[in-house]
Amino acid sequence: MSTNGLGRRTKYPAKYSAFSLIKHGLTKADWPQAWRKHELKSSYDVVIVGAGVHGLATAYYLATNHGITNVAILDKGYVGGGGSGRNTAIVRSNYLTPEGVRFYDRSVKLYEGLAADLNFNIMFGQMGHLTLAHNDSSLRTMRWRAEVNKLEGIDSEVIGPDDIKKLVPYMDTSENTRYPILGALYHPPGGTVRHDAVNWGYARGADVRGCEIHQQTEVQSIETVDDRVVAVDTSRGRIATSTVVNCTAGWASLINAMVGLKMPLVTHPLQAAVTEPVKKFLNAVVVSGSLHVYVSQTDRGELVFGASTDPYPSYSMRGSLAFTEELAGHVLELMPGIAKMRLLRQWAGLCDMTPDFSPIMGITPVKGFLVDVGWGTYGFKAGPVSGESMAQLVATGITPENIASFDLARFPEGRLVGEKGAAAVGH
Amino acid sequence: MIQVPCPWCGPRNSMEFRAVGESKSRPDVSTTTPEQWRHYLYTKSNLADWVTETWYHRAGCRRYFAVERHTVTNDIRESRLPAAQLRRQSDSGS
Amino acid sequence: MSTAVTTGRRLAPQAGEVIDRRAPLSFRWDGKTYTGFVGDTIVSALVASGVDVFSRSFKYKRPRGVLSATFHDPGCTVQVGDEPNVRAAHRRLAAGMEVSPENVWPSLKFDVGAANQLLGRFLSSGFYYKTFIKPQRLWPAYQQILGRFAAGGVTAADAEHGYFDKRYIHVDVCVAGGGPAGMAAAVAAAESGASVLLVDEEYELGGHLRYGGDADLAALAELRAEVAVHESIEVMTNAAVTGRYDMNWIAVVQRQPGISVQGHAIHERLCKVRAGSLVVAAGLIERPYVFAGNDLPGVMLSTAVRRLVNLHAVRPGDNAVVFTANADGDACAQDLRRIGVGVTVVDARTDANIRRAEGGKRVKTVELADGRRVDCDLLVTAVGWTAATPLLNMAGDRPQYDATAARFFPTDRLAANVVVAGALAGDGSTSELVAHGAAAGATAAARAGHGSEVPAPALARVPHPELYRSTTHGIVDFSEDVSSKDMFSAKKEGYDSIELVKRYTTVTMGPSQGKLESANAVAIMAEAHGVSDFNEIGTTVWRPPYVPITLGALGGRGFENTRFSPMQPWHEQHNAKPLVAGDWIRPEHYGDPAAEVANVRRSVGIIDVTPLGKLDLRGPDVPKLLNLLYVNKWSRLPIGAVRYGVMCAEDGVVMDDGVTGRLGENHYIMTTTSSGAATVWEWTENWLQTEHPDWQIHVTPVTTGYASMNVAGPKSRELLGRVVSGVDLANDAFPYMHVRTATVADIAGCFMWRIGFTGELSYEIHVPAAYGLHVWEALFDAGFDLGVVPFGVEAQRIMRLEKGHFIVAQDTDGLTLGFGADLGWCIKLDKDDFAGKPELVWQSRRDDYQRLVGMQPVDPTIVPAEASQIVEGTKKIVGRVTSSRMSPTLGRSICLGFVEPRLATPGTIVTCQLPDRRRVPLKVIEGLAHFDPDGARMRI
Repeated sequence: MSTNGLGRRTKYPAKYSAFSLIKHGLTKADWPQAWRKHELKSSYDVVIVGAGVHGLATAYYLATNHGITNVAILDKGYVGGGGSGRNTAIVRSNYLTPEGVRFYDRSVKLYEGLAADLNFNIMFGQMGHLTLAHNDSSLRTMRWRAEVNKLEGIDSEVIGPDDIKKLVPYMDTSENTRYPILGALYHPPGGTVRHDAVNWGYARGADVRGCEIHQQTEVQSIETVDDRVVAVDTSRGRIATSTVVNCTAGWASLINAMVGLKMPLVTHPLQAAVTEPVKKFLNAVVVSGSLHVYVSQTDRGELVFGASTDPYPSYSMRGSLAFTEELAGHVLELMPGIAKMRLLRQWAGLCDMTPDFSPIMGITPVKGFLVDVGWGTYGFKAGPVSGESMAQLVATGITPENIASFDLARFPEGRLVGEKGAAAVGH
Repeated sequence: MIQVPCPWCGPRNSMEFRAVGESKSRPDVSTTTPEQWRHYLYTKSNLADWVTETWYHRAGCRRYFAVERHTVTNDIRESRLPAAQLRRQSDSGS
Repeated sequence: MSTAVTTGRRLAPQAGEVIDRRAPLSFRWDGKTYTGFVGDTIVSALVASGVDVFSRSFKYKRPRGVLSATFHDPGCTVQVGDEPNVRAAHRRLAAGMEVSPENVWPSLKFDVGAANQLLGRFLSSGFYYKTFIKPQRLWPAYQQILGRFAAGGVTAADAEHGYFDKRYIHVDVCVAGGGPAGMAAAVAAAESGASVLLVDEEYELGGHLRYGGDADLAALAELRAEVAVHESIEVMTNAAVTGRYDMNWIAVVQRQPGISVQGHAIHERLCKVRAGSLVVAAGLIERPYVFAGNDLPGVMLSTAVRRLVNLHAVRPGDNAVVFTANADGDACAQDLRRIGVGVTVVDARTDANIRRAEGGKRVKTVELADGRRVDCDLLVTAVGWTAATPLLNMAGDRPQYDATAARFFPTDRLAANVVVAGALAGDGSTSELVAHGAAAGATAAARAGHGSEVPAPALARVPHPELYRSTTHGIVDFSEDVSSKDMFSAKKEGYDSIELVKRYTTVTMGPSQGKLESANAVAIMAEAHGVSDFNEIGTTVWRPPYVPITLGALGGRGFENTRFSPMQPWHEQHNAKPLVAGDWIRPEHYGDPAAEVANVRRSVGIIDVTPLGKLDLRGPDVPKLLNLLYVNKWSRLPIGAVRYGVMCAEDGVVMDDGVTGRLGENHYIMTTTSSGAATVWEWTENWLQTEHPDWQIHVTPVTTGYASMNVAGPKSRELLGRVVSGVDLANDAFPYMHVRTATVADIAGCFMWRIGFTGELSYEIHVPAAYGLHVWEALFDAGFDLGVVPFGVEAQRIMRLEKGHFIVAQDTDGLTLGFGADLGWCIKLDKDDFAGKPELVWQSRRDDYQRLVGMQPVDPTIVPAEASQIVEGTKKIVGRVTSSRMSPTLGRSICLGFVEPRLATPGTIVTCQLPDRRRVPLKVIEGLAHFDPDGARMRI
């Protein structure tokens, strides 16, 4: 242990910059911990379940915007180990409903400033985002989105095959394919981030401001008295608290069940895969709804693929062969020239799907039990704005206007969110 | 790929089937309230456990049937006729 | 012009060599011509020619040579022609191969030794998270630069797809690994009566026996002979089991399988295997040692040296230091001495150790732990093994570390249909491994229903020194350029679990996916945490595929469903423009849709509507079913009549529409939208099977059983009169919204109904599919003088819009409940029950939902693009255009769309924003129809 060759440690917290990097290189000093370990206290003002991007961002904004720092973020695994570290890290705001567009645009804006806010490079590359249309009904939906986006001031436009070919020269835009490309919704501000960096940046930011991250700490039950939260029992002990925020994905139903709540959630695995690296050739995020595939290329040269969720509900995170077969077949429909690239690794995460392709956020019939769940396949891109909004709700007790339509009561009241409109209109 | 034991066709690859969802009973439309009806439409148990669900053998016999599946392991311990058909069988049998 | 390069590194013939010295091959590497032999790998041929360096490392650009001489060798990834990332230590040489290095900046030969030591200080793991933060506007520029460092080969936009294939295999036993245990398992399983697939990654069976001594070679010959006599064993070499999925669904990738399709050689084939049992005999992977300079060219694993010497007859160096902790290292030293290489042995079992290696483009000196310095050009390490457990991991096992044997072992948590054989389970002589494999094979066969289980003889766990890292820091992940120092730093920064350190440093995430690196990564983490039991650290989860597999093999040949009507040849002959509509390919138009419209309105046209969904419903309870599925009433539909109906889902959302006609007492035909055909059929069966199994109804889908064509236009009756027999076509005998069975163009068994989607007198004829083309051609022949011409989907869309007929899922969306689609006239809330009734009852009491209305631009020349928004003020959305066309009949633009209820009053002027942001006024019209609102033309 004495021979690891590492020297003294700089004081906590460190400021990250090119200068500090050079200084550390020269002095060989250790970097301080990005976030610290703590003993579990017997009570916290707020307990957040799930140390993914939603939970960490909620804690960060509670501390930053509202000065609430007596906060514990609990995770049965490790920081960013669930959906936040398993998604394909696409960020965009070209949604269908004005409410959706405004909500996700706020997230894009937060992402644009996040590296500076967190002093952590999240590597947000806004290389542009293309949603392909292979038939006239999906082209119509693309135009619908483009028109709503424009009214909301979002850069979004329907473009034709020639322009697509210019953006992605590998794309087969010829007419005689099985799924000819008729056009695409082009969204220049869309792109990808480094998902782990976002998780770690928020973790570090929350930690610096006094919130406590407790990894390997599993929530086992939640105590209520008269439908009001009083405590959380964990694998490391009991915590008294009046506020619990369920920020889990995949296991949201199990946490909800601890306070006796059932919601319109169905858990499906969502698989993803990467190829071996090749030299950069794809400078846009490409999505095809008809072919159930999305693809981007990382700075490391790997293609990152995603698809639609698995066809039946499951809590299993084992990958399937059928997924990779369908994925590869469809990617090659779009870009036949990359057939000799090799798939390197596949994995799965869990998604809690709701009936209207929108989350469930806000208060519940159990007082002090708040939810930020049901994020389906689009949770990561909403991490910052969700954290900001949930923090505001926790701090003020008032549901922010931008998440009002995502309330749990919309289901019994028959007010489903309009994103279902687009999802159900053809493919 | 898991195999689903169709009561009519035997074990077949899951891609021949459509998973319909948790088995639920439909409220009486003449008396149902919005809360009850929308609970039927939307709310799920979504257990990480053995569940009873409906599957449809889309690329096979085109029959609906009930399956007991564990949603963590995907193991299937039983498949049988839909509840309504079982009720009918026992009604006519007795 | 270049000259062929040869050197004297090729040895005299070796006992187990796989090269054919009578078959020289010429190939090119890095722009120069080289020669090798059939049986050489790219790397063995190049090493024989004196090449040491095959790539430069990902981050620090250090030169990299041979490490493991296997598929997984991280430094030996090259470009071959248009194929990136070829494993040159595995891929066999072929004549004329064009091989080039991939990561060569600044060049393969340039020595950046001093500079990269400095780089290493600043490019610590995660450095990119800590810099390029401000100013943020420069990040895209930084990102461009980082992108240039991407590893890997090149692809081309216009590269050929190449040929790939798939195969399904059903066997009792699949054996992963063709070493002694795997071969014995295959033989034993076959002797029990099982069918067997034996898969090995190398080009020949044998595993480590192939590069062993005389006794190994003799044992190998015997085992190969035994495998060969069993016809029930299929041997697949140069293939790998890439994944074990639920219920023993097993993926095998077969590389260059030597088969061709239509004269084209198959590049890779994916075999999908459903196996009763899987025997995992994947063996052991030799582990690199972590020390300063461990990635210098000339630092090799003992198995790499033995492969080069014994399989390819190549001398890997002239002066060797062999750091050995086991018999394989000793055997390697012996091999080297045999071929005349000077050997200095450093024996770990006597507590001797190496501290660091030094050199530039090749190792020059080794510094030992006792301070001695030994000059050499080859440093061999034999420090132990990584158990190849990924397939076990995929089968649910979490292997456990045994400190005594210094490697991971499977546990007993395996699924019953997965059996472990050979060195994964323990150490033994060849005969002990064979005995273990044979027992595993018999057991696997028994679990697949053949013979009975045989308890496996226990294999010893031979004590082995725990050797992971020396006293210096070195590379842990060679593909990712991650050092042990990086991992220590990451741990200190709080990335302290194996999963976090993996993500932060990217250790084990490169192309070899941890096969060489993961044990060392766990050991370094254990060291950083100060724990001795590796099980406290755990391992990262091995995920499929075990080895990378081409997208081409995974995709295979396209088997996407594509459907054509029986009239497709005619459409092609008449230059129909194809339209992809779900699975169907349909004629969009035949050149001029507006002229097609005019022709239908003036005389007569015919459209192919075969994709319309059609269900044949029989039984006394059909009216009950129709009443349940549709929102309108069906109890009193007379025989010979048809009715339009709309279906809603249980949430009240409009789901499908179509007409259903009654052909006989208990016989109905239902039509659905083309895209809804499968959904409606499943929906119907769901109601019958799960809610009303007592109803006597039989449903038969007949969508493709009939070819369907719509004859539309004022002259359609006249045309049909010439080809239809057995039906009185007169208006009072066969009125609008009625159905008749008929003989059409001498084809009996047709039925036809008078409906009016286009708004004209029209007959939809359904013909037994085999006669579709005949009837279609007969209609055109008969109507030539009437001016009959075909019309496509586009003309039909224009005409239905003129008539204000909505299209489900275009003029409705996923939230449109029945009343929103102007369906109040047909929703019968006084029925006891129907799908979606409660929601429609509640909707009928509200007035807040958007309405579907007909709209006309005030400027008749403007056609607002479909999905243009209806707006108020700067950005308030109060509706949208769902359909729009220029009407050739009216000479003006026409629309359908949704508006807020307060704007739905006829005469209201609304504002539409076009895609180019112009705003134009539209006028809401009375009803949905722009043309012939009373429907007089359909009833003539």
